[in-house]
Amino acid sequence: MKEMKPTVFVVDDDAAVRDSLRMLLKSVGLPVEVFESGQEFLDADRDDRPGCLVLDIRMPGMSGLELQVKLNERHSILPIIFITGHGDVPMAVEAMQAGAVDFIQKPFRDQDLLDRINQALDKDAGSRRMLAERNMIRKRLESLTPREREVLDLVVAGKANKVIAGDLNLSQRTVEIHRARVMEKMEAHSLAHLVRMVLEVERPEE
Amino acid sequence: MTQSKTPEERRPAAPRRARSNGERDFRALLDAAVDAIIVIDGGGVIEEFSLAAQRVFGYSADEIIGRNVRELMPEPYQSEHDGYLERYARTHKPRIIGIGREVVARRKDGSLFPAELAVGQVADEEPMRFVGFIRDITKRKEAEEQLKRSESELRLAQELANLGNYVVHMHADEPDYFSPQLYRILGVPVDGERVSRDDYFAHWVHAADKDRVVEAFSRMDASGAPLDVEYQVSLRDGRTRYIHHIAQAVQDANGRVAKHVGTMHDVTDRRHAEDEARQLQDRLTHFSRLSTMGEMAAGLAHEINQPLSAIATYAQASQRFLKQPEPDIDEVVAALEQINAQALRAGEVIRRLRQFVKNREVKREAVDCGRLLDDLRTLAETDARLHNIRLRIDAEEPLPTVYADPIQLQQVVLNLVRNAIDAMVDAPQDRREVLLMTRRCGEGEIEITVADHGSGLAPEATEHLFNPFFTTKSGGTGLGLAISKSIVRAHGGRLWHTPNVESGACFHFTLPVSPARKGSDE
Repeated sequence: MKEMKPTVFVVDDDAAVRDSLRMLLKSVGLPVEVFESGQEFLDADRDDRPGCLVLDIRMPGMSGLELQVKLNERHSILPIIFITGHGDVPMAVEAMQAGAVDFIQKPFRDQDLLDRINQALDKDAGSRRMLAERNMIRKRLESLTPREREVLDLVVAGKANKVIAGDLNLSQRTVEIHRARVMEKMEAHSLAHLVRMVLEVERPEE
Repeated sequence: MTQSKTPEERRPAAPRRARSNGERDFRALLDAAVDAIIVIDGGGVIEEFSLAAQRVFGYSADEIIGRNVRELMPEPYQSEHDGYLERYARTHKPRIIGIGREVVARRKDGSLFPAELAVGQVADEEPMRFVGFIRDITKRKEAEEQLKRSESELRLAQELANLGNYVVHMHADEPDYFSPQLYRILGVPVDGERVSRDDYFAHWVHAADKDRVVEAFSRMDASGAPLDVEYQVSLRDGRTRYIHHIAQAVQDANGRVAKHVGTMHDVTDRRHAEDEARQLQDRLTHFSRLSTMGEMAAGLAHEINQPLSAIATYAQASQRFLKQPEPDIDEVVAALEQINAQALRAGEVIRRLRQFVKNREVKREAVDCGRLLDDLRTLAETDARLHNIRLRIDAEEPLPTVYADPIQLQQVVLNLVRNAIDAMVDAPQDRREVLLMTRRCGEGEIEITVADHGSGLAPEATEHLFNPFFTTKSGGTGLGLAISKSIVRAHGGRLWHTPNVESGACFHFTLPVSPARKGSDE
C-alpha cells in the first residue's frame, strides 16, 4: 500500500454541521473530505485510507451505527469518532462496544474535537504501522523453505540445536546452517527479535 | 199546500194524491234545494221531507212523513220540543224562528251530527205551519276544530322551541301580529305593549350587534333579500339572549314593502352549549398538540442543537483562521455568513414551535399550501431524522390555497407523520421512509396522504381507530386521530385510511380548495 497523508472523513447529513467541520479542519491544516450520507461514504471506497472518520450518529436512512456495522464487515480499521446529540448516551455506548474510539456531544469545543481527532489519527497510524510490520514479517516467513520453517518453529519453542538435530534427524552442523539462513531471511538481530516477530503474527489467530 | 191531517190518514194517501201544478213546482223546488227542508204543522208532525233531508237523515219520505219532528233530535231537545211549539203558539215570541242557530240532529241510525238550523213560519196560515232548513255542518265543524287545534299546537310548539313570530305592516292600517312567545322571548308582558322597530333597535339589540342588524334590515327592504341574522339582545331585567332572526319583506302590487313576516328564535341555550363544546374542543386540541410536541421534544432539541453546533464550529474555525499569519479572509467571511444563516435557522425552528404550541383562538384564513408544507417540513423532518427515517415530500405543483386554520392543519399532518414514524420503529432500514404527498383531486379538493411502511393496522384496531382514548401506543393519549378527524371535518374535508401497497398504512385527508384562488389558477 502506498503511503498517503491521513485524511479526516466527515459524514453528516446536516449541510451546516458538515461545512463548519470542513472549515474547522481546514483551519488547522488537516486534509478533510465530507460526505452527506453513509452510503455516499461507502460508495467512495475511502475506508482503507489512512485517517479517521467523524460520524454523526443520527442520520435519516443509514444511521451512523449502521455505517459502523458495514465498515466492520469490510474489515475497515478506520477509527471512528461519533458526534452525538443530547440523550444519545445509550447509542454512544453501543457505538463504543462496536469499536468506536470516541464520541463527542454537540455542540462541542473545537479543541476537544481536534484532540480526539489527533488521538484517532495517532491510533490509525499505529495500527497501520503494525499492520505493515505484520505483512512484512509474513512475507519473510513465506520466503523460508519447509525445512527452515521446521527449524524456526523448534528454535522459537526454545529448543537447543542438539535437540533440534535429534528431533529432525539431522546433523548438528546442518541445523546450524539452517538456523543462520533463518536469521538472515527474517532479518533478525537476535534470537529475542526473531521470537518476537513470530509471536507478533501468530499469537492472534487471524 | 196540503191540509194538516192525522198521520194515520195521511201516510198511505199522500203518494197517490193527485197533484196540482203549483204543488209540483213546490216539490221540485223542495227537492232541488241543497239544504234539507222539512215542513211541520203546529204540533210538530212532519208534512214534507225533501230529498236532501232524506239524504242527510237517512229516512225515506214515506217512513218519516206523519211522524213528529222531535224524532230527528237527541235529548234533551226531543223532550222539550213540544213545549217550544206550545209556547210559541201561546206567546208568538220567536226563540228560533227567523234567527237560525247551531243544533245537534239525529240520523235514523241514531248517530248525531252538528247542523245549522233556520226556521220560518208559513205566513198567513191557520193552523200554523213551519218550514225548517237544515245544513249538515260536520265538515265545517271539523275544520274549525282543526284550526283551533293547530293554533294551540302552534302556540305550544312556539313555546317549546322558544320561537316567536310576527307580522308587521308598513303602511296599511291592518293590525300587526306578535305571537305570545315573541313577547316572552323579549321579556315583555304578553300583549302589554307594542315594541316599535326603532325601540327594538335602540333598547333591545345589543350595542355591539346593532349596526349589523340595522344593516340587515335595510338590505331586506332595499333588495327584498330574506333577512337571516343572529345577534344578542339585552332584556330589561339585564339578561342577555341570543336571537336567530329570520324575516322576509312582502311587497304590495306597487312593489313597495307592505309588511315584514318573521320569526325570532331564542338560541341562547344552544349557543351556550356550542360555546362550551367549542371551548372543550379547543382545550382538547391544544392538549393534544402539546402532547404531540412532548413526543417530539427530543427531535426538536436536536433540531435546535444542529444550528447551534454549526455556529460554534464556524466561530471557532474563524478564530483559528484569523490567528494564522496570513488569514484566509474569504473563509472567515463565508463562516460569518453561515453563522448568521444558522442563527436564523434556529430562530425559525423556535418560531414555528411557539406558534404550534401557543394556545390561541382558532382562525380561518387563506393558507398557501406551499408555505404550510415549508413550515411542516422543519417539524416533521426533525422527528423523522431522530428515528433514522426519511421524510419524502411529493407535492404536486402548483399548490393551491385553502381556507383553513394553518396551525390545526399542521397538527393533523404532524400527528399522522408521528403515527407513521411510530409504526416503523422496527422496520428494516431500506423501508424506513414516510411519504407526504399532496394531489389536486376533482371537485376543487386537495388530498394529502401520509404513507408508511410499518406493520399496518390490525383489523381490530381499525374499528376503534378514530375513537377518543383508543391507542395502541404505550404512553399515547388516544386523542390524536380523533382530534385530527374532527379538525378535518370542521374544515369541510374527510379523513380515512387505506392499506399501503406492500406493507403499512396510508392516511388520507381532503380539504376544499379556496374558491378565490381556484379562479385565478385557471
